[in-house]
Amino acid sequence: MSLAIAGMGWVTPLGDGVDAVWEQLLYGHEACAEKISEQFGNRSYSAFRVPESALGRLASHPRLRRASAISRFAAAAGLQALQAAGVKVEPQNAERMALVFAISNGGVIYTKRFYRDIVEAGAQSARPLLFPETVFNAPASHLAAILEITGSTYTLVGDSAVGLLAIRMAEDLMMNEELEYCLVVGAEEVDWLLCDAYRRWRLLRLAPPLEPFNKTARGMILSEGAGAVLLSRTGPIMIAQTDAGAYYRKRTETEEILNRILSNLTQSEVDFVISSANGTFIDQAECRALRRILPDAIVYTAKPAVGESGGAAGLWQVILGAQALDRGELPPLLHVTSTIPLRVPASRTALTKARHAIVLSCGVNQQVAGLRLSIP
Amino acid sequence: MLKTTAGNGKSSLARVAVVAAGVVSPLGFGLRETLDSLREGRDCIAPVTRFSVAECRCKTAGQVADERLINDQPEAGRARRLHRASFMMIYALKEALAQEPRFKPELTVVGTTSGGMSYGEDYYRSLYRRDSLRDSPAWIANYPAQKPVIDAQEVFEISAPCQVIANACASGTNAIGHAFECVRSGRYERVLAGGYDALSELVFVGFDSLQASTPEKCRPFDRHRTGMVLGEGAAILALENLDAARERGARVLAEITGYGMSTDNFHLTQPDPSGIGPRRAMERALQSAQISADSVDYINAHGTATPFNDAAEGKAIGELFGRVPISSTKSMMGHSLGAAGAIEAIICLLALQHQFVPPNINFRAPDQLVDLNIVANEASRTVLRTVLSNSFGFGGTNASILMQKFEA
Repeated sequence: MSLAIAGMGWVTPLGDGVDAVWEQLLYGHEACAEKISEQFGNRSYSAFRVPESALGRLASHPRLRRASAISRFAAAAGLQALQAAGVKVEPQNAERMALVFAISNGGVIYTKRFYRDIVEAGAQSARPLLFPETVFNAPASHLAAILEITGSTYTLVGDSAVGLLAIRMAEDLMMNEELEYCLVVGAEEVDWLLCDAYRRWRLLRLAPPLEPFNKTARGMILSEGAGAVLLSRTGPIMIAQTDAGAYYRKRTETEEILNRILSNLTQSEVDFVISSANGTFIDQAECRALRRILPDAIVYTAKPAVGESGGAAGLWQVILGAQALDRGELPPLLHVTSTIPLRVPASRTALTKARHAIVLSCGVNQQVAGLRLSIP
Repeated sequence: MLKTTAGNGKSSLARVAVVAAGVVSPLGFGLRETLDSLREGRDCIAPVTRFSVAECRCKTAGQVADERLINDQPEAGRARRLHRASFMMIYALKEALAQEPRFKPELTVVGTTSGGMSYGEDYYRSLYRRDSLRDSPAWIANYPAQKPVIDAQEVFEISAPCQVIANACASGTNAIGHAFECVRSGRYERVLAGGYDALSELVFVGFDSLQASTPEKCRPFDRHRTGMVLGEGAAILALENLDAARERGARVLAEITGYGMSTDNFHLTQPDPSGIGPRRAMERALQSAQISADSVDYINAHGTATPFNDAAEGKAIGELFGRVPISSTKSMMGHSLGAAGAIEAIICLLALQHQFVPPNINFRAPDQLVDLNIVANEASRTVLRTVLSNSFGFGGTNASILMQKFEA
């Protein structure tokens, strides 16, 4: 089945709002990296963080008073998507909208704070107000309460492919003809602890730039924010096909799964690919698979500009793909430091009559998925 | 209610069979031990041994013994690295695949709340105390919530994509319900569904800090109930299009016939006291199965034994079902969070297969505010055709599934 994109919302380290972020990307701007440190850590890390000004327009809601950053990002993106579509949830249609929330690490800031109290001063110091915010579905619960959705609400957890898996789940849910809309939201917040963990896993670069498709995988820069896509039955841009892919057992299997997904999604013409290249081992796997299956397609990734945002990443890629199809151009690919055997947009590139795009999401925790966007 | 139509405009809903199941929980390893514990009304709650609970009000939980769990692994070489939640999931999947070795799922849907959380705790504690971080790569690699199901699939060479639902305590029932709808809609023919969670200090202290857990016995629906105890475990069910299952001669253990879900936006941790959230989920499950409330013979309640949950759930059950027999099997094994709905689905399956209702142990006095027919303290033999299982979670997520005895 195919679904349409009725509205989108975007909260990123480059600001908020689909058009505003898109403009920044077109001009080749990159988010400002912020140094983050921790009292017991002996090094600091660079991360792309959402500027406080990006949430300035977020209306206050009792549910957000004590909520974590991730919940506020999600609320802002979700509200933007509904507003863009001109859709308002009313009591009579509250059950006709589902919410699928994609998350990777969840409310890590409050989780760390809650556990720190336990480690520092014992269980009796644990703060009961913090605990509920550590639960994976807290951001989805806040968003459902703000939007007054009373039907199906799911939180899916996974790596940076989880956003596409959430869209696949939305397709499953929309098999039910009584549903009119499904709001898919991906969100993530960044913390020193995550940076340290990814560094120990040899996947993190200590400071920008994030160099995509470099033969030497120097690592990613983490980021935060949210992306929201409101799916409906008809609209100008369709999610024509999804492929829930598979998981790889060893990193060497990644390319084979990508080959399979690309072969499945390229039954019809493809104009460009929104890749998930993020400066890690997945870049070369994607590069090889793309060269093999789609050697002529233009390939773009926004991660050098906005970082790797885990649970939000897949939604950001879908928004990028839809925006590029709608506007007929792609932003320049940043920080290309070596010769890449792919067609990449070195500068702002017009996409004449582009109608089909592929979004590939390859996570660092074994999950891989893809989808195809089309203008009917 | 799921409504799909085929090209000819007629309803095209498939029937959904359970063709295999596997479980590990404080009640036992496998279906046989679980059945014995249920029939005996065994209290499987014991003092917590995995971490210090000296400063907690609650000091007990339902736990799965590590010696058996880890020694029973198909791949002993990898065993040191994996999280306990992975071991549990591997055990459950192994049991299910022993019944249906050729079951090749197109999709796997599981529920969890915390995955490998205790590895995250190890990592944080070592950083904070400047202890050795030699094992940190293994902790980090095995911490993600989706890892246990990927590990289990890997052991048995299954490569289906995984949807890992984290809807707090409703996750397991949501996973089975969503898998049911995926098969019922005709989009998939075979789906694995289940849930897993292992005890962790952070979660244990969290519930303790909210005073949701009890220093006493867990007494669901009792007038003097004082809260929940935590548990752990994993369970998996193999769901298949009934026609396809019969065509290949598979043994059908039961049918899943309905699923309902609702979101009540009352509070992040407390249910709406009116019971509207649970009531909507149960009503939707009945609509989905196209049956009336009086067709339900037994309800495996969410029944955490917290004053708020049992009051709201009891009110909704009383209003909808009157005096249908109900029990909360959490009284015997504790609340295993993301695994609870999946384990309780297997308890319902066993109840249907063996025609008995499992007990709600530690029950002393009925709650005067709700008129319920509690299966108090002892299992009883009865005729069961249709059973309902409830799970409700933080965030106002409510889920109910209906299962039916298979009649060819």
